Amino acid sequence: MTATQDIAISVRDLKTFFYTNNRCNKALNGVSFDIKKGKTLCIVGESGCGKSVTAASIMQLLPTLSRIEQGEIIYHADRGDIPLHALEKNGRHMRRIRGAEIAMIFQDPMTALNPVYSVGFQIKESLRYHMKMVGRAAHQKAISLLKEMGIALPEKRVNDFPHRYSGGMRQRAMIAMAMACSPKVLIADEPTTALDVTIQAQIFELMDKLKREHGTGIMLITHDMGVVAELADDVAVMYMGNIVEAGTVDEVLRQPTHPYTKALLASVPVLGKGRNQDIKAIRGSTPDPLNRPKGCQFADRCDFAVAQCQTMPEETRITPTHRVMCWRYKELVPNG
Amino acid sequence: MLTYIIRRVLILIPMAFVICFLVYLGLELTPGDAVSHMINPDAAGSMNPAQLEALRQSLGLGQPFHVRFWSWFTNLVQGNFGYSMSGGVPISNIIATRLPATLELAAVALVFSTVIGSLLGVVSALKRGSKTDSALTVIGMLGVSIPEFFFGLVAISIFALNLGWFPVGGRSMPGYVTLWDRLPHMVMPAMVLSIMLTAGVMRYARSSMLDALSRDFIKTARSKGLPEWRVNLLHGFRVALTPVVVLIGFRLPVLIGGSVIIEQVFQWPGIGNEFISAVRSQDYPVVMTIALLSVMAVLVASLIVDILTAVIDPRVRLGE
Ligand SMILES: Nc1ncnc2c1ncn2[C@@H]1O[C@H](COP(=O)(O)OP(=O)(O)OP(=O)(O)O)[C@@H](O)[C@H]1O
Ligand code: SF4
Ligand SMILES: [Mg+2]
Repeated sequence: MTATQDIAISVRDLKTFFYTNNRCNKALNGVSFDIKKGKTLCIVGESGCGKSVTAASIMQLLPTLSRIEQGEIIYHADRGDIPLHALEKNGRHMRRIRGAEIAMIFQDPMTALNPVYSVGFQIKESLRYHMKMVGRAAHQKAISLLKEMGIALPEKRVNDFPHRYSGGMRQRAMIAMAMACSPKVLIADEPTTALDVTIQAQIFELMDKLKREHGTGIMLITHDMGVVAELADDVAVMYMGNIVEAGTVDEVLRQPTHPYTKALLASVPVLGKGRNQDIKAIRGSTPDPLNRPKGCQFADRCDFAVAQCQTMPEETRITPTHRVMCWRYKELVPNG
Repeated sequence: MLTYIIRRVLILIPMAFVICFLVYLGLELTPGDAVSHMINPDAAGSMNPAQLEALRQSLGLGQPFHVRFWSWFTNLVQGNFGYSMSGGVPISNIIATRLPATLELAAVALVFSTVIGSLLGVVSALKRGSKTDSALTVIGMLGVSIPEFFFGLVAISIFALNLGWFPVGGRSMPGYVTLWDRLPHMVMPAMVLSIMLTAGVMRYARSSMLDALSRDFIKTARSKGLPEWRVNLLHGFRVALTPVVVLIGFRLPVLIGGSVIIEQVFQWPGIGNEFISAVRSQDYPVVMTIALLSVMAVLVASLIVDILTAVIDPRVRLGE
């Protein structure tokens, strides 16, 4: 088991619901995981399973129609544990943590930067608010951040507006902005989906470097199993608002136990396995989030479903780190 | 930036020339010429055609169109607009006495609509879906759809005739010298003139602001832990501002057109009023000159809008 001092954020039984047209969408229905210091936690799962809602819940940046209904998000700061879920969403306390101690980068760097301010201005904004750093000092810091993120000619680039940056450079600038106050945790929501493949690799390399050099805990949301294999220390597989399987990267990728994890792994080409892979798309489609199955959310699509699956399976630990949410996990554990 | 402005100004010159040409053509096509207006019709009957022809020649009217146009144009550039047909007063004199009154009104209305319109629009967007928002939306709809003269008449009947707060019309009274003295005269016409533009700006500012607030960079700004006012104003409103400025520029002709009506309703001694009386007395040179100036005003306004947009939106600065 991981000692508590290695954990940056722990999420316990988190339930975040959306209320649209008087109907309730249980976007997160009891999610638990830890983001460890200096480690990368990858969250994977199909579109709509609640990855972004998880990130927004931690940042307390949920849309107005949604609410944390139950559960805890504890940020283990040096000055003591802080229950983020209990803080006022836009209160002073949360704002002091957001951006300074927990930072976030988004999917589309083309739209995530404000087009009417220079990149430097937007980096300095964080420095001013969180570190009271202004003027020359802030300018120098912005330049050194851009330099660290691998932007050429940072002295000149710092004054450029975002439209003069390429997509990859903008994401680097976003990361520079996020890293401005040396956060303990960096949350990245599909940070490279909008970029082309070579740039993707560079951005991930950069994030990995930050993790090693700054000890930043990273929560990386991605669709790409190749990235998971490459970067992750821990993996959580989400399906319809639950983490159906979680563990270290070896456990989840080498001994996938949950039928959904297996199906997910079978549906994508795995790096290094060569070309003639047997790729199978997952049968069926995700259920209507407003009209979810009562029991196991995956039951409609699962090849192993039995009558018992009409009730919600419990989270069970296979090893101290490897847990799974499936009634029939015992039969499904790969031997070896 | 400077090259951008210079380029824009240079584009304006040929446009202005073409407009002058069209206006002169319009003058040319109106029935009669200077001579037929100079001479009283009864006298004209008793003059022989040779005399009339001689008069035409002496005035240069016998010369070909392009020569006359060129001489008119060069005069125009030097600020000599020709003469009014009623009374033979130089048109430039008329303009010089009437224009300040119009500009004064338009400037007050413009500033008022811009500031109040944007403010209400932003409030409406930030309080989206609230009672304030609905009320402002309804008011905005009324503002853009009810004609200005109606507001003018209602305002006169309530605030001038019944309550007696403001004078019924006119720009000033004998002995009123400072702007402060004249202020009560200005309030009603300026407010009424700005209603339509204010409502337009408000509606536009609201949707522009909502659009800006829904963009990704707002989420980024919030994720940096910035306070709400900074997220909304520095990131949201700043971006929402560009289209609003463009809209105001495009709506400036409304202000110019509106001033014709408003000046009439409030007996404001401006260009618009002069325009109406010139139309009534068929004083073509005056009508055409005022039309020409209005078009020029619109052109200059669009130039200013372009420059302003470039100043506030870095993506437009093509001249870099
Ligand atoms: N702004 C919103 N309003 C209403 N429902 C929302 C909103 N955002 C998310 N949801 C709902 O919450 C659930 C989880 O969505 P979420 O955005 O977290 O998915 P995701 O895993 O990030 O998917 P993707 O891979 O497409 O980004 C979905 O059922 C979605 O419909
Ligand atoms: S609980 Fe049943 S339906 Fe759900 S994944 Fe396991 S076997 Fe399949
Ligand atoms: Mg998402």
